Amino acid sequence: MIMSAYQNKVLRIDCTKQETRTEPLNMEFAEKYVGSKGLAIRYMYEDMKPGIDPLGPENNLYLTTGPMTGTPIPCSGKLSVAAKSPATGTMNDCSIGGHAGIRLKFAGYDMVVFEGQMDKPTYIVIEDDKISFHDAADLWGKTSHEAEKALIEEYGTEFSCLSIGPAGENLNNISCINSDYYRQAGRGGIGAVMGSKKIKAILIKGTQGVKVPNIKETTDRILEIFHENCLSEDNEFVFDEGTYAFLEACNDGGILPAHNFSAATDVNWDKYNGAVMKKYRLGKRGCGSCGLGCGNFMKVGDAIVEGPEYETTAASGPQCDIVSIEHNVRFNQVVDDLGMDSISAGVTVAWAMEMAEKGIHDFGVHFGNEEEMINILYDMAYRRGEGAELADGVKVASEKWGGTDFAMHSKGLEFPQYEPRGSFGMAASYAVSDRGACHMRSYTANEEVFEASCPPYTHEGKGQVLYDLGEFNAIKFSCCLCDLWGTVDYAIMAELLTLITGKEWTEEDMSTVGRRVLNIGRAFNQREGFTREHDTVPERLFKDPLKGGPADGQVMTKEGFQDMLSQYYEIMGWDENGCLPQELIDTL
Amino acid sequence: MATKRLKFKKALCIGCQLCSQVCSAYKEGEYIPSKARIAIETCYDDGSLKYIDNYCILCGMCMKACPFDAIDMDNGWIHVDPEKCKGCGLCAKKCPKHVVQIRDKFAYICDTCEGDPNCVKACPHGALTFE
Repeated sequence: MIMSAYQNKVLRIDCTKQETRTEPLNMEFAEKYVGSKGLAIRYMYEDMKPGIDPLGPENNLYLTTGPMTGTPIPCSGKLSVAAKSPATGTMNDCSIGGHAGIRLKFAGYDMVVFEGQMDKPTYIVIEDDKISFHDAADLWGKTSHEAEKALIEEYGTEFSCLSIGPAGENLNNISCINSDYYRQAGRGGIGAVMGSKKIKAILIKGTQGVKVPNIKETTDRILEIFHENCLSEDNEFVFDEGTYAFLEACNDGGILPAHNFSAATDVNWDKYNGAVMKKYRLGKRGCGSCGLGCGNFMKVGDAIVEGPEYETTAASGPQCDIVSIEHNVRFNQVVDDLGMDSISAGVTVAWAMEMAEKGIHDFGVHFGNEEEMINILYDMAYRRGEGAELADGVKVASEKWGGTDFAMHSKGLEFPQYEPRGSFGMAASYAVSDRGACHMRSYTANEEVFEASCPPYTHEGKGQVLYDLGEFNAIKFSCCLCDLWGTVDYAIMAELLTLITGKEWTEEDMSTVGRRVLNIGRAFNQREGFTREHDTVPERLFKDPLKGGPADGQVMTKEGFQDMLSQYYEIMGWDENGCLPQELIDTL
Repeated sequence: MATKRLKFKKALCIGCQLCSQVCSAYKEGEYIPSKARIAIETCYDDGSLKYIDNYCILCGMCMKACPFDAIDMDNGWIHVDPEKCKGCGLCAKKCPKHVVQIRDKFAYICDTCEGDPNCVKACPHGALTFE
């Protein structure tokens, strides 16, 4: 059946020939994967041959909305940005905020696929059914913010701009895509995929609508759920502080990483927390269709940014022994402008600082030195001097220079800011995540530390925790709903999908789709040659007892870690090698 | 009793555009902000956060500008008479908030949902009020 709320249209942009074509959405895929994350991975699995070069013309870049995009369902405005990752070699789906998602849907598309590569810098304009290619020679070499400013001045604020900075142009593994200046598809070198296609920017404007059945009754019910559930007390922290709220929770719980994941607490955390942020906040901002509004637009000295998020604060502050909210903001502004992922950039610099401290190699950055840290970001983005050695993240750098034991990544994606020795499940979460170390798959820290619903310093029972959380986020991000609507559940998702698509969805369907999305991600990676031996975390977690905080002295065992993987594989129906059997692949 | 009007406090606005999505749902039968009778957005410009706050303030300029006497505010909200309106667009030109839309030879103007505006119900943090 053709479901409502979809546009039933996929736009394919052939960059090589500079031609476009449209096709109906594959409704069978939509019924099996709903939208956004799941739908993007299923299309990638269908479209792309295994073994292709992530920076070659055969890698596609997918912008994918979901059925909820463009409706007033709260927190439904994020856009999936997906491709094979140059950093990990796995599939990689990112989620970008801002307004590009709703505008793409209003332009009339469920998905846009960028295929092939152009031979010279170009920007692409999508305005409803008009698609045009434009020379970007003057923009190439400019920062992401400079490019967005120039293009929005020319085209107007009714357009959303997705752009890359020099890091993406220079094909860095830690490059990102920006939109609305301060929102990112951040991880896995997704900016380099756009850069490899010579796309400096994508402008999107839409004037069309999204149709759903019984729209007045449907909207009445959406607004009821919005007020009763989304705007409830549990989610108030989002508007109040945004993800700054995690700083206290992580520090108190012993999982705030410091000194390149040597310690998990910072006695100075309250010098750069949410209370301090509020002194410098100029305004609040959310994404299209948001309703919560996590964004804190702030200015400290001459540093301006919407952010920094918890991740960026931790990666640029305690990880590098720097106590300064102005530095956190400046770091955030600079990496955004250069088009680099703040998590990967921060973790990479922290690793380089430890390399110097240990006397292995001096990249010119040292713990506690703000100026050196900011300066090397430019050298990383432009691949200059020692910065060039760090431009592709800690995996590439440590394989050349040593220090692999404390190069904090899984599969080439740097760790997010949750210390696994204070939350054992996070180690397995990073290891089995479909795109390398990511906290947005199975966020076990919530159960092990914040909610304390299971003990943190053990491997026992973690496979099930990992699975339940992973399944939930897999369907949530396929709807696509923002992570920060923390109180949404399967009953609400199923009710909303039923209301807007005109097809009956049940809570059991949410579980089934979530599981299927986990499987298609793994199947993509399996086809690329990934098995159990790639589900790893660095040796530091097994060798170095954690210093300070509630998890002081904690260290993990390899046996316990492997047992978590085995538990998880068994629940997923994968074999001991972490592989899907053929009969399971056949159901995808 | 004084006429109730839409009021906007930008410090509480997150730029989510739920107001225009919900407006279009009830007025146009689809989620289509480009046809909504309210357009509140935020954007960044030169390092500052800008607010675009286009909504009906019931100033009556459209009514005064109408050469066909098609617009009245008798009930405390705008009413456009479909028999009289020719879609000439003079009201749109005079509207200081740029929220009159001329389509298919008719002027579409906010009627505050006849004194019970749905946009206000969709506004998450009280940036839009009706008072």
